[in-house]
Amino acid sequence: MTGWARAAAVARKDLRMEWRGRAAAVTSLLTGLLLVLVLGVALGPDPARAAAVVWVAVGSAAAVGIPRITQAEADQQALEALLLYPGRREHLYWGKAASLAVLLGAVAAVVLAVAGVLFALPLGGRLVPLAAVTGAGVASLAALGTLLAGLLLHVRGRELLMPLLLLPLALPPLLACIRLTDAILTGTPAGVWPGVLAAAVAVFGLACPILFEVVVDDA
Amino acid sequence: MGGNGREVAERVEAPAVRVVDLGRRFGRVWAVRHVTLTVPPGRVLLVSGPNGSGKTTLLRLLATALRPTTGGGAVFGCDLVAAADRVREVVGLVGATFGGYDLLTARENLEFAAAMWGRPTDVEPWLRRVGLSAVADRPVRTFSQGMKRRLALARVWLAGPRLLLLDEPYAGLDREGTDLISAMVADVTGQGGSAVIATHDRDRARALADLELVLQDGEPVVLRARAAAAPAGVASGGGP
Repeated sequence: MTGWARAAAVARKDLRMEWRGRAAAVTSLLTGLLLVLVLGVALGPDPARAAAVVWVAVGSAAAVGIPRITQAEADQQALEALLLYPGRREHLYWGKAASLAVLLGAVAAVVLAVAGVLFALPLGGRLVPLAAVTGAGVASLAALGTLLAGLLLHVRGRELLMPLLLLPLALPPLLACIRLTDAILTGTPAGVWPGVLAAAVAVFGLACPILFEVVVDDA
Repeated sequence: MGGNGREVAERVEAPAVRVVDLGRRFGRVWAVRHVTLTVPPGRVLLVSGPNGSGKTTLLRLLATALRPTTGGGAVFGCDLVAAADRVREVVGLVGATFGGYDLLTARENLEFAAAMWGRPTDVEPWLRRVGLSAVADRPVRTFSQGMKRRLALARVWLAGPRLLLLDEPYAGLDREGTDLISAMVADVTGQGGSAVIATHDRDRARALADLELVLQDGEPVVLRARAAAAPAGVASGGGP
């Protein structure tokens, strides 16, 4: 059995539990939709602001939903059992990050679709580049969020601390996603932002699994 | 024989548990200290003592869930700190809590455990063994404490651990469940493995035990072999 098969088992288990409990999905989705609606009404249907509204909503949805991905394990005292399975803990990280990416990807897709209606965005014909940017943005949020969920697992008030840690650390990929989404929707040059986003995905993808092993050790 | 072969041979002959001056502190409070003992393969160690005496902490140290503050030890020749990954391959801990997932069914819980242990994911034989076949597809949140306990046993049993760690195993179990504990311990020791049972219910566990360690305030006060012929190499308890 490879470590990747273990990672897949963790991801399947997390998604199955999320499907039944919907603890993180409902919270994230409602937060994202609420922000899009409030900002959409407050700012008016100006397409130039749509990209920022979408990614502020996705970032906030992630900050609210991520603490809940380890909630079930903490509540049911299943974390220790999970950590005591053989194999490297990096694979637990990848399993949890994959399930979180699926969850945030679904939230981002719904938020983008609602923003498309509110801001009258020309989404048709631009779905492939938008999906690529959304995928990279969600991957970077999931990579960082999984690490922070492990770090804050036993911290009281983690729901408050998560946005305080996640949003500043995720600022480079979030800014890159805003600029790139705007560039795709308006047809303007992307500049250096594809490189910034790719660098964020690479750095988070390399550093966070290693740090996860450290933060959950002797938890 | 190459270096790797020698290493494997040493592990096969190594004690199931060997710890020297093992201690763990939480803040300024010592949960466990001055524990020195050896458990040969095929033997069962009973760890008893009142609440808060350090039984669970000792089990968690042996399972690598905690790092020792002082001293160290090895499980079947694998160091508790330096080779924690290898220790986890041979140790199965049944904690005082269920350790599974309430939103999953019993079958899904065992399939997940089997996948994580790298064992076959046909878990029906294990469900039958612990008497949960009839409720295999019910969510665990509908289970009684005793049923959850049986599922926790199956979750570890299917892994075939060489060192079985049982923390208060009799809590919430009926007579049949208690017999399952005995069967599980016999199964592990029959294959050359060992078991450590931590409980304050000494009378039940004594029938299974070859060795007994009594803890008081985290320190060993008694360490004795219960079998008539004490196995060689069973070290004395350290500390005062």
